[in-house]
Amino acid sequence: MSDTPQTLLSVENVTLKFGGVTAISGVSFDIRKGEIRAIIGPNGAGKTSMLNCINGFYHPQEGRITYKGETRERMRPHVAASQGIARTFQNVALFRGMTTLDNIMTGRTLKMKANIFWQMLRIGPALKDEIQHREYCEEIIDFLEIEHIRKVPVGRLPYGLQKRVELARALAMQPDLLLLDEPMAGMNLEEKQDMCRFILDVNKTYGTTIALIEHDMGVVMDLSDRVVVLEYGRKIADGTPDEVKSDQKVIDAYLGVPH
Amino acid sequence: MEAVEAGARDASRENSFPKLLRTNARMRGARPAMRHKDRGIWRTWTWAEAYENVLALAHAFDAMGVGHGDRVAIVGGNRPLMYWSISAAQLLRAIPVPVYADAAPDEMAAVIEDAEVKIAAVQDQEQVDKFIGAAERLSFVNFVCYDEDRGLEDYDHARLKPMHKLIADAKALFAREPAERARIAAKIEDGQGGDTSIMLYTSGTTGRSKGVILSSERSVAAARDTAAFDRLNDHDEVLAYLPLAWVGDHYLNYAQAMVAGVCMACPESPDTVQQDLREIGPTFYFAPPRVFEGLLTRVMIRMEDAGSLKRKMFHYFLGVARQWGEKILNRQSVPVTARLKYALGEMLVYGPLKNVLGFSRIRVAYTAGEAIGNDLFAFYRSLGLNLKQLYGQTEAFLYVTCQPDGAVRSDTVGPPAPNVTIKINEDGEVLFKSPGQFVGYYKDPQKTAETVTSDGFVRTGDAGIFDKDGQLRIIDRAKDVGKLPDGRLFAPKYIENKLKFFPNIKEAVAFGDGRAFATAMINIDLTAVGNWAERNNIVYSSYQELACHPRVNEMIAKNVAEVNAALAAEPMMAGGVIKRFLILHKELDADDGELTRTQKVRRGFIAERYAPLVTALYDGSSEADISTEVTFEDGRRGTISARVKVSDMDGGAPASKQLESAA
Repeated sequence: MSDTPQTLLSVENVTLKFGGVTAISGVSFDIRKGEIRAIIGPNGAGKTSMLNCINGFYHPQEGRITYKGETRERMRPHVAASQGIARTFQNVALFRGMTTLDNIMTGRTLKMKANIFWQMLRIGPALKDEIQHREYCEEIIDFLEIEHIRKVPVGRLPYGLQKRVELARALAMQPDLLLLDEPMAGMNLEEKQDMCRFILDVNKTYGTTIALIEHDMGVVMDLSDRVVVLEYGRKIADGTPDEVKSDQKVIDAYLGVPH
Repeated sequence: MEAVEAGARDASRENSFPKLLRTNARMRGARPAMRHKDRGIWRTWTWAEAYENVLALAHAFDAMGVGHGDRVAIVGGNRPLMYWSISAAQLLRAIPVPVYADAAPDEMAAVIEDAEVKIAAVQDQEQVDKFIGAAERLSFVNFVCYDEDRGLEDYDHARLKPMHKLIADAKALFAREPAERARIAAKIEDGQGGDTSIMLYTSGTTGRSKGVILSSERSVAAARDTAAFDRLNDHDEVLAYLPLAWVGDHYLNYAQAMVAGVCMACPESPDTVQQDLREIGPTFYFAPPRVFEGLLTRVMIRMEDAGSLKRKMFHYFLGVARQWGEKILNRQSVPVTARLKYALGEMLVYGPLKNVLGFSRIRVAYTAGEAIGNDLFAFYRSLGLNLKQLYGQTEAFLYVTCQPDGAVRSDTVGPPAPNVTIKINEDGEVLFKSPGQFVGYYKDPQKTAETVTSDGFVRTGDAGIFDKDGQLRIIDRAKDVGKLPDGRLFAPKYIENKLKFFPNIKEAVAFGDGRAFATAMINIDLTAVGNWAERNNIVYSSYQELACHPRVNEMIAKNVAEVNAALAAEPMMAGGVIKRFLILHKELDADDGELTRTQKVRRGFIAERYAPLVTALYDGSSEADISTEVTFEDGRRGTISARVKVSDMDGGAPASKQLESAA
């Protein structure tokens, strides 16, 4: 981390309502360039909603989200994507009938320059394009050690590997900000360790800023530079893992408190 | 053919692998020498390019002070740079010492310490970490060179060198100063036939592994004989996927490739071997029986899921192949109708199947290392795959016997290989003299003296008999062949192999030497039994639960009964009828020391570790509690405890305490 941290994204006073239900109320925090930022909180705390706001899927009723110094008005997900925000989902959202490689290639869609005419014939600029993108995808396949499943339809893969393919697809976008929604849910210990190593490697090798939601506290505390804690849509703590761990409000939220 | 003859012409002069490499670069410089799949693409190096890379690498090693007699550790998977490191070390008359890449840090440290390694060529960060950890306290390790740089950016590079850069720098220097290249190339001529070509550590089936010293001229001579035997030439191709530290890889891939100009293809990663095999389509192939077994199991399981028409077609043509396939392969006379049916089968079933398995172009395939079941062996041969058996060991630089085309059987390992002499001593132990015979064990003259007889024969430690037609049949390790109280022969491995031929049984450990009767511990095969459980609606959550399931026990009991029937039919082996058996609650694992790194059971160690179970096998109890410490893949330790059922076999009276105390 540099001495003067640069803010990549800031969330100010964001409130999100679904009819009468307030999912998020008045939350503010920031994500610095190059850090691993964790968002934690009990079930229903509004973590996934927060990610959905950041990548433009939900539009908060109040508050401002500033990304790369630009405050946005009702942004759409594909705009977020073209600005370099990639994400993975809590429930794996891959094209199950397509191979690992094809799934990862879809992550390059926004970077393809050839027009539909060339694409359909797969000649000229489209072919050159494809070779270039394939090369990049192969880098990622090598990086995440999934060579052996390159040509396997994703639907046939075990869950842990599907999660890894999803990460690969997100990486194929060469994102500046990577949002990971429970990247380790449902994995065994070994798969978790692998995933942790990959997340750290991504952060270090590509300098990607990462915001992640995770329930495994051990993982969160080991991986992240800073942690923001939500409960019932409010922010109750924000700081380094050590600060957050010793915060009484966080302990109460997680362990429960007698009323 | 021409290639082999050309090699034979210079046989007296070409007595080292660097010399052969240089000749290959001259004679077939533009032919492919090495392939490697990287980032999804097969990259190829010609013999000329390979030679240049080896010269460059040798220059770098030379600059690090490597010279005659120094040991160079090679730690990694099958990658071009690992093989070139071996050649580069040999060029400098240094001694390459390949180390098993999956060795635990302790095992690696033992080898590094024993061999007093000066520099190491390792594959990636994982190996660098392990190696540095192991070599930390050893002052004689000077440099570590690595292949893949990922994750190593932040390491201290004072003694850590990236091989790609070393090669690039050396090549740039060669371009500027051709004399430098000539100086390195001239070193090839310094090599003597008696130089140590490589030091291979034995698998350690019987205790601590020993460094086997193989000399340059003998290695080359042995490889020449067998390459000629199987008519290998520079249009042949192999997939080098066996562990680098094993004699099989060094011989079948490296040595034979060098003498015959065969192209070696390195897989993308250990997990992709099956796909890579299919893409490369090798012409020469080696796999231990367990690989063939695994493939067959997978094919059969997948056929169960196929449509009924396909399934019927598959089984019909397999029947045709079973009846005629081997006869056609052996060039015996076969009726025309059978030939037609077989040809149709080749088109519809065998051809596509071999293609899926990557066997389409195979001319010669070998299996060795353990006994292979007749059904399994016949299956592949009936498909038209020229699968043969060989028998060998590190001390022989592999080949002791091998089967020639047309005289192939599953229960023997063939007549002596070219220029090999075999004799069997009074204890039934097999002794040999071979062209590739080792020079001695490293730093262990006493052990060498024990192994090599005064007239120059090497003891194999295996008990064997010659069949009427001159083929050797291996029964067991000589020292494991025991006697039962009534004087009958007890060959544990023979029994274990018979058990292992059932797809449901992955491993078996037989006991009986010095006991009243034979018993067995059995490991179920998770793939086969798991699949069976799925089809029979048997629910289980872990290996342990499945292994302890009563219906699994029933099924295994049936298999044991069949083995007993087969044993009873052989007068020599009838003593080995299994009276009691149990199914182990955990898989035997090399990480726990129960198997060697080459996956052979360590019977003595298992008997100690599972002492309560062995006791239960002999004291008549029907259950036993056991708790064992296990090592997980990440190095942590834990305990598994279970209650294991001990079953009696029909025909054998239940064991009693009196019987055991009498024994």
